[in-house]
Amino acid sequence: MKMPMIQCHNLSHLYAGKAALSNVTFELGAGEPIGLVGPNGAGKTTLLSLLCGFLPVTAGALTLFGHKPGASALSGRVSALPQDARLDPAFTIGEQLSFYARLQGLSAKQATNEAIRVLEAVALKDLFKAKPDTLSHGMAKRVAIAQALIGSPELIFLDEPTAGLDPVNTRNIRSIITELSPATTFIISSHDLAELGRLCQQILLLDNGVMSTMQLNASGESSPTRFITVQMESCTAVDVIAKIKPLKGVVRVSTPQKNEFIVEYNPTIEANMDLKILTCIIDNNWQYRQFSQGKTLEEKLFFEEDSES
Amino acid sequence: MSPGFLQHSLLICQFELKRLFSSRKGWLYLITFALVWSFILLYPIRFAADMLGQEKNITSGISFLEFFGFGSLLNWQIPEMGVYWHFALIIFPLLSVMTSADQTCSDRERGTLRFLCLRVSRDSLFFGRFAGMMLVQTLLIFMSLFSTVALAVYRDVNLLSLALNSAMAIAVNLIIVLLPFTAMMAALSATLKSARQATVWAILVWSFLAGIISALSSYLPALDALKILIPGYQMSALSQLAQWQALQLAYIPLLQSVVLLSIGRWVMHRQNL
Repeated sequence: MKMPMIQCHNLSHLYAGKAALSNVTFELGAGEPIGLVGPNGAGKTTLLSLLCGFLPVTAGALTLFGHKPGASALSGRVSALPQDARLDPAFTIGEQLSFYARLQGLSAKQATNEAIRVLEAVALKDLFKAKPDTLSHGMAKRVAIAQALIGSPELIFLDEPTAGLDPVNTRNIRSIITELSPATTFIISSHDLAELGRLCQQILLLDNGVMSTMQLNASGESSPTRFITVQMESCTAVDVIAKIKPLKGVVRVSTPQKNEFIVEYNPTIEANMDLKILTCIIDNNWQYRQFSQGKTLEEKLFFEEDSES
Repeated sequence: MSPGFLQHSLLICQFELKRLFSSRKGWLYLITFALVWSFILLYPIRFAADMLGQEKNITSGISFLEFFGFGSLLNWQIPEMGVYWHFALIIFPLLSVMTSADQTCSDRERGTLRFLCLRVSRDSLFFGRFAGMMLVQTLLIFMSLFSTVALAVYRDVNLLSLALNSAMAIAVNLIIVLLPFTAMMAALSATLKSARQATVWAILVWSFLAGIISALSSYLPALDALKILIPGYQMSALSQLAQWQALQLAYIPLLQSVVLLSIGRWVMHRQNL
């Protein structure tokens, strides 16, 4: 049987006497990107720091590819974008990325080429000879992402990869992740749930140091009802609910936010509910911004029971 | 295949050497070092060597140098090397404390160690940086020794082979002397936040450890043996020995280095990055 990429058993970690992680147990295999979400202080960065070997494991067991985090055997196989880590201002970006590549076993020439390649991937090739203290926050983040790509590792942890990036670069990072998956498995910690919803099939939810997992594509299959989320242009919620709720097969209509409606329906009664709702919108001369199958990731993770009408 | 401990340590060590020659801070340090040593060579060493030459011609009575406790200088065949040895025993340990104070602390505070620890073990990083600092200091020792040999040879060209032998003896001894100082700074750097803090703590540890052991040994004389753990403990005895004889005391700094590096490694492994 193939060994899981990450094996975590009863992992706990204390920060100043407070439990940052409490008996976290999970196993992850290689494949599509995996999202790691949770409120501030939930323990996401602590978990990533333990996985990367930045924090020593004090309670529980944790292995990556069968090795303890931080082991030399993981050099070149596991990489990360650590939160708030900066390069040494004394050396140029090219010198440092080439040095990291050399530490991963590349020759001097290969290391220089690899540094150029990863900088090209984040559209910063021109900064090869620049010093890190000349970079903006967004550029520094992209350079840090570039260092994570050195040597095409099998597993990359990204801690808030798109925080502070402009939309163009966010899109660029997203396309890098999509291109490299599933040859490289990404574990992405982020508060940008829309971004994670686009990229990930599996979500790890950490709350108060306790973890639960969710398969995004499997949720609809096990449930007798399905969902459609509609974001409308300015309209009266009472009118929309009054028109949609009587449609045959609709179980419930909820309004978690202004102008956003989640329609829960029974597909065995009405298989083409999307067409029915669209027809209803057109018949009433309403305008919609977004129409999607299922719930948003935010709804699934945090407001499952709260938004019922 | 991923490189092992030795290869990683070697690469880190090389990078530290590169830091000396490719960074502005490194060049500033080199220029300051060259200026200080040229001053020491041109004035104290040259004049002291002239005076020693005159002292050696005194055949009877008490020598001026012996009267002031510097009689051991007369054991050196080349006066310049003897004076260099005494200066180096004071200056290099002080330089070592200052230059090797930032082996890991600022990188840890900045987060740069995280990028490194994704690729190398903490052992490779700790010992690689330590070896790098030793390599830099070795280079500086050879640079200053080379200029001292040149000064002696300028006076008398026949002294070349003698001067080279003395220089090698001094180099080996100085490198051994600097090992525990560099190891102490490696250990402090692994736990403190800045080079300045590490330097202050080194001075505190140094003076308080000596004071505490002295105070305790007045009650229990056996504890006086603990002084062997203080870096530089053997310095006064060492200054009385000349050339290769100084290796007699090499076991003290070597033992201190093993203890301090073990402490530093232990700290490094338990440190959050």
